[in-house]
Amino acid sequence: MLSYTFMQNALFVSVFIAILCPCIGIFLVLRRYSMIGDTLSHASLAGITLALMSNQSPVLGAFVFTALSGALIEFLRGYFKRYSDLILSIVLALSVGTAITIISSGRLRTNADAFMFGSILTVTQTDIYLVLALSVFSVGALILLYHQMLYIAYDEEAARVAGVRVKLINYVFSVLVAAAISVSIRIVGVLVLSSMIALPVATALQLEKGFRKTLLYSILFSVIDIMLGLFLSYYLNVAPGGFTALVSVAMLLVVMSAKAIRTRIQIARGKPGRA
Amino acid sequence: MRIVRICCFSTDIRQKKEVRPIITAEDLYFSYTGAAPYLLDHLALHIPDGDYVSVVGDNGSGKTTLMRLILGFLKPTSGRIVLTAKRIGYVPQRNDFSNAAFPITVFEALDSYRRLIGLKDRSAIDDSLKQVNMAEHKNALMGTLSGGQAQKILLARAIMGRPELMILDEPSTGVDMNSQEEIYAFIKRLNTQSGLTIVSVEHNLDAAISNSTSIFHMTNGHGHMCTPRQFLEEFLNTSRREHDHA
Repeated sequence: MLSYTFMQNALFVSVFIAILCPCIGIFLVLRRYSMIGDTLSHASLAGITLALMSNQSPVLGAFVFTALSGALIEFLRGYFKRYSDLILSIVLALSVGTAITIISSGRLRTNADAFMFGSILTVTQTDIYLVLALSVFSVGALILLYHQMLYIAYDEEAARVAGVRVKLINYVFSVLVAAAISVSIRIVGVLVLSSMIALPVATALQLEKGFRKTLLYSILFSVIDIMLGLFLSYYLNVAPGGFTALVSVAMLLVVMSAKAIRTRIQIARGKPGRA
Repeated sequence: MRIVRICCFSTDIRQKKEVRPIITAEDLYFSYTGAAPYLLDHLALHIPDGDYVSVVGDNGSGKTTLMRLILGFLKPTSGRIVLTAKRIGYVPQRNDFSNAAFPITVFEALDSYRRLIGLKDRSAIDDSLKQVNMAEHKNALMGTLSGGQAQKILLARAIMGRPELMILDEPSTGVDMNSQEEIYAFIKRLNTQSGLTIVSVEHNLDAAISNSTSIFHMTNGHGHMCTPRQFLEEFLNTSRREHDHA
């Protein structure tokens, strides 16, 4: 299986997805912004269709459009203070409306289905370079802004008092979310992309560790989910995105069950756990 | 407002001398819409360096708005606030700070904050934890701590970097009685021994009267500074009048 070039490409990109998605996802989940991940992954479809229509790289198109959508969400957050859930509906309407209009116009010279469901056959050499560049940029930015982003998620007021430029970092974070999404769309697909952002983090949170360990476990679960998803989808001949999402849910259920069993054992031994 | 128990007045009766103001607010107006009615209406405030000021008032009197303006979270509609303190320690209200499920250890919470305020000395974490008697909880998850323990960690975080001004938002909220006594004793020690200026938004009038050097009493967006004794007299007179009317 690994002798095929398309599979090597898919594997290479998957490693980056597995690292980048939970790194971004942990901040989205902990700030209760999981739905922003979902909205932006749908927004990327508009970028893909615009890029395909104008013969540009769909990964680049997704990155630019998603980053702009993320910045728009951040801008509208100040405008719709009392109805913040409206913001996601507005961005979703704009992006999905754009995508559907372009797809239904018949102006696309290629099929956009591969981006909706994910495909291991469509990863090109250009995509690999773009994915590599976006991943290195994103992980570098995350390392540089780790403490600022941790504190904005944990205690935004304390972050402000400590001199963190919250608004600016929120805009940078929107760009990082856009990078994670555009890196992932080829393999995972738009429809289940948010599962790669949120589910490994949800699984790691079950372990009740500190932030750094939760992040590392999120990456570990993400690697397991996406590798299992990739290999099994190859043998089952199904889309890797959908199957990876199923593996992620299964992993979460396994960890939740193991935690419940451990708690019961601890109670039976007269030593109740934290859960 | 109700006083449950009055221990004693602040024993810190210092010689009043000319000291630099640490917070000065003049002709301050604030409303979220930018027009009347104002939550803060023609307010003036002068807090000298080294004071322990409790900001008290009924719900809606504007005390939290004032604190948020001092911290720079809000901008005045008109008027100005001048802070001469460069290093500020902040202890949020525990009800607002309800992120108990956040996966973070005490060490991580303090270490990241230390880096944000540009403090290179790693031993500041252990030092501040020792000061609030929480050294043994260094590796605990924040979410597993009791209300009093979590409040002590927030205090430890606030004193890292040796602030010139500490702002607290209702420090006794969600804290058991024993921990409240410990926390107020610690805050008062910071004020009397280290000369740290304290501004504490208080609903606990007992603590305000017992510990503060001055009380800023707010009513309907206005405020005036008084001594704890004057505040108590005002409070008793108001209560007496209300009782007579009833």
